[in-house]
Amino acid sequence: MTVSAIMPMTGFYDYSEVARSILIAIAASYAALDLAGRVTAASGRVRLAWLSGGAIAMGIGIWTMHLKGMLAFGLPVPVEYYWPTLLVGLSVAIFASAVALYVTSRPNMSRTDALTGSIVMSAGIAGLHYSLMAAMRMPAITRYSPLLVACSILLAVLFSLIALLMAFGLREETRGTVPRKIGSAIVMGIAISAMHYTGMAAASFFPGPPPDLSHTVSNAPIAGSGVVVATLLVLVAAIFTSSVDRRAHAEIRQVNQDLERRVAERTSQLEAVNQALRKEIAERERAEEALRTSEREQHRIAEQLETERARLIEAQAVAKVGSWETELPSLDITWTEQTHRIFETDPSYFHPTRPGFVELVHPEDRAKVDAAFEASLEKGAASTVKYRIVMADGRVKVLEDHWKVFHDGQGRPARLIGTCQDITERQQAEEDLRGSEDRLRLVIDTIPQQIWSGPADGSLDFCNAQWRSYTGLTLEELQGEGWQRILHPEDRERVLTSWRESVANGTPYEQEERHRRADGQYRWFLARGVPLRDSEGHIIRWYGTNTDIEDRKEADGRLRLVIDTLPALVWSKLPDGSADFLNKRFREYTGLSEEEGLGWGWMKNAFHPEDRAEEEWRAAFAAGEPFEKEARLRREDSSYRWFLLRAVPLRDETGNVIKWYGSTTDIEDRKRAEEALLEAQHKLALVARIQAMAELAATIAHEVNQPLTAIVTNASFSLRQLGGSTPNFDEVRTAITEIVNDGTRASAVISRIRGLLVKGTSRRVDLDINRTIRDVIVLLGNELSRNHVHLRTELAFNLPRVHGDPVQLQQVLINLVMNALDAMRLSTEQARNLLIRSAKNADDIWVLVQDSGPGIEPDLAARIFEPFFTTKVEGTGMGLSISRSIIESHGGHLSLVSSSQGALFEFTLPVTMNE
Amino acid sequence: MNEPVSIVFVVDDDPSIRRAIKRLVESVGLRVELFGSAAEFMSSSHPDIVSCLVLDIRLPGISGLDFQRKLASANVPVPIIFITGHGDIPMSVRGMKGGAIEFLTKPFRDQDLLDAIQIALERDRARRQREGEIATLRERFESLSPREREVVAMVVSGMPNKQTAAEIGITENTVKVHRSRAMEKMQAQSLADLVKMVERLKIED
Repeated sequence: MTVSAIMPMTGFYDYSEVARSILIAIAASYAALDLAGRVTAASGRVRLAWLSGGAIAMGIGIWTMHLKGMLAFGLPVPVEYYWPTLLVGLSVAIFASAVALYVTSRPNMSRTDALTGSIVMSAGIAGLHYSLMAAMRMPAITRYSPLLVACSILLAVLFSLIALLMAFGLREETRGTVPRKIGSAIVMGIAISAMHYTGMAAASFFPGPPPDLSHTVSNAPIAGSGVVVATLLVLVAAIFTSSVDRRAHAEIRQVNQDLERRVAERTSQLEAVNQALRKEIAERERAEEALRTSEREQHRIAEQLETERARLIEAQAVAKVGSWETELPSLDITWTEQTHRIFETDPSYFHPTRPGFVELVHPEDRAKVDAAFEASLEKGAASTVKYRIVMADGRVKVLEDHWKVFHDGQGRPARLIGTCQDITERQQAEEDLRGSEDRLRLVIDTIPQQIWSGPADGSLDFCNAQWRSYTGLTLEELQGEGWQRILHPEDRERVLTSWRESVANGTPYEQEERHRRADGQYRWFLARGVPLRDSEGHIIRWYGTNTDIEDRKEADGRLRLVIDTLPALVWSKLPDGSADFLNKRFREYTGLSEEEGLGWGWMKNAFHPEDRAEEEWRAAFAAGEPFEKEARLRREDSSYRWFLLRAVPLRDETGNVIKWYGSTTDIEDRKRAEEALLEAQHKLALVARIQAMAELAATIAHEVNQPLTAIVTNASFSLRQLGGSTPNFDEVRTAITEIVNDGTRASAVISRIRGLLVKGTSRRVDLDINRTIRDVIVLLGNELSRNHVHLRTELAFNLPRVHGDPVQLQQVLINLVMNALDAMRLSTEQARNLLIRSAKNADDIWVLVQDSGPGIEPDLAARIFEPFFTTKVEGTGMGLSISRSIIESHGGHLSLVSSSQGALFEFTLPVTMNE
Repeated sequence: MNEPVSIVFVVDDDPSIRRAIKRLVESVGLRVELFGSAAEFMSSSHPDIVSCLVLDIRLPGISGLDFQRKLASANVPVPIIFITGHGDIPMSVRGMKGGAIEFLTKPFRDQDLLDAIQIALERDRARRQREGEIATLRERFESLSPREREVVAMVVSGMPNKQTAAEIGITENTVKVHRSRAMEKMQAQSLADLVKMVERLKIED
């Protein structure tokens, strides 16, 4: 055989040895699984013993398997093994086994445990493998393929993990485990072998220097077999002891189980007995308890009796009721203390007997007492008798006895048991009461009022004489529900409903109703009832009166007739303005029913929509002063007419308004006439203005024409002259001079005309412009309100005075306000707001009039002050130009200020320089 | 005959206008006299020559139109030219109906006024001439004897001399004598002239 230095040596496997190694692997695996179970089952020191023993056995097994595997591998060179290293390998194997056993025998094996365990194990196995490789002594160098090394290690980890999991899963000592264990052992064995041979494959051998052969053992099969045999023996022993132990365990377990079962049986028996015992005891206790309770009860009753007795005696003393017993037929009498007290006898000395008792009774009542006594014996029912007794000193007491007859077994009267009460005081009180009752009755019957009373259920049990004599009925006839017969059929339902309601709810009753007089006539009454309540609020009785209001009603009726007949619409309203009465004429005129008209219905349903100024009206009512307003009322036929509504307040003593009374008169005709008059006035004014205008125009024409004519004539003359052959220049000059003069004259005429336009003689005084403004507002007030213009004034306080003609300044303001009104009249939808403001501004007073009309277009704005310029159909165009003249003649200035909405005029007036 | 002197009377209450008109009218060679009111005009004496009257309607005291009527009723036939500051139609109609030459509104065109004045003066001249002529004729007629007048009356009616003689009761010859003497006095060139003259005299009556 040629050994090449470059090429790796080819190794060969002795396959019988390989097979044996695999067998060992399987055996070791089985042992491992078994031991794992043992270790798990054991505890304490035994566990430790099993662990160590198991680890040793397993370690030897694995080590042997690897060694066997190594021995199965032959190289073309002799291979010896350094036995110290072999022993190291053994210890590593034992260690790995210990770890494996430990990990698999714990109660839980978490993933971390499994992983760590498998890593340790595989490390151990790898360590074992490579230590064995390292133990080889041969004339060769070992080279490892990293890839295969990695593979083998990976396999090792994998194998370990699988092994751990299997061992963990199979450590229970259940039946059927053995076959599974064998199966798993085979798998594990093959896996271990695979891992080993992969590791072997990773190594390649190259010829190398001769080895150091000290301390080595040879590759002798016998030695190998010996090792194997030894190993197998160890393993078998392990398995054997393991199984013995298992059986022992199983037996022990069985015995345990039996024992437990028996114990359980016995225990349950004992339990049953216990239960029975307990039940008996409980019953016994209950019985005792019952006994005790009844004893206690007896005590209690006895005590109660005692207490009752004491109380009875007490009660008798308090109530002044004594009790007695009379035995029959012996007539032995027993009296309580109280009875003695009543009779003022000493119990120690006086023994009551029937005759003795009768002796004490007032002579006049003895017969009554005896009779009652006899009667009760026959009747056998409860009896009572009132009688007098006479004391030693002559005092008389009134007593009342109540008794009952008790019979013996044979039905014969055996004894009388009764009470005896001193009712002297009560008697007296009753008499007094009766006396006062009589007096009261007299009073009640004499008062000129019908008085009645009844119990809480609403029936009647008392009517005074007045009522009885009015109705001509007796108390019996009126009692209960009888009184209802005197009600007028039309009122019956209302009265009864209302009365029942009062009775049910306890609310005072008040109704106007007709009652039938004895002669059949009905008269109006005001019936009132109030309840009498006890301290807890429950109704005890009803008391009431009926007051004759027939006359008042009649008067009301007459008044109503008057009010309804008046040729005016008359009404009354509550302080806030809601109507509570509308006379017949009102209702007939408007066609409204009571419901439609009352409250604020009179405005909502009868007023013209434009006149429903609820705010204003409410304010007027609130102000509390008589006022009048005009409004259009809708007639039944839906036409509208103007009315004047006048309201006057009715006050109480403190001055508060409690009611409003008013009348509404038709002013349509007057209104029409007013309007016509106003119309005519306007027209007249207009005509006058136009007339004046015409005259003015004529005047102007004439006045201006004169100088113009002279001018034209002179000019024509001059032209002629200059156009001729020999102009007379002197004449021309004269003519032209005259032209100039006439021109001046013409302008003077115009000025004079302007002055003429400012009519009248001007009278100037120091005045307060605010006063003037207010005067104008008063003057035009009606006009403004008629056109629904809302006026706002912002007049500055303490304005300095101006020197001016009040009439002319008024004229200016009137002109501005009327212009504003005309402008706003154009729009029917928008609100009509007028603002007049006055203020001080350096040396001037400044007045502003602004409206909310359409405003003035810019191109017109420049011309509005021109005379004869007007945008109004009937305007003369003079107003603003005259106003401007007036203001300017006062030293001020009138102008239109551009404004986004509406027209804004302002004028200034110089402040008077005061002395 | 010399050019008759004419005169323009101007009645206007505005002095400026008066002066201007005078200036204007005199510039065309006419004579002007100025008055401030109707009363002033009436109270002054005027030469009885061709004239016309420029009259403002608006005058203190009597108005122009009323003055026109007054003049008419007083038989003062001076032609009138109205000038006025404001003229309305009724006014102008009334003025024209009353015989005015022209109705001008101030301010008027100078030419309009001058034209009107010329027309007025012409009219006045014509009238005067006519009247003068009539006066001469009348004078002459007055110089006729009654018998001559008789004859003339019949002759101009177309009556032959023989018939005239028979009517009056004089001889035909006497008629002829009277006729020729009358014609001489009347300065009629022919019978036709005489007829015309007598006609004219009759119209004026």
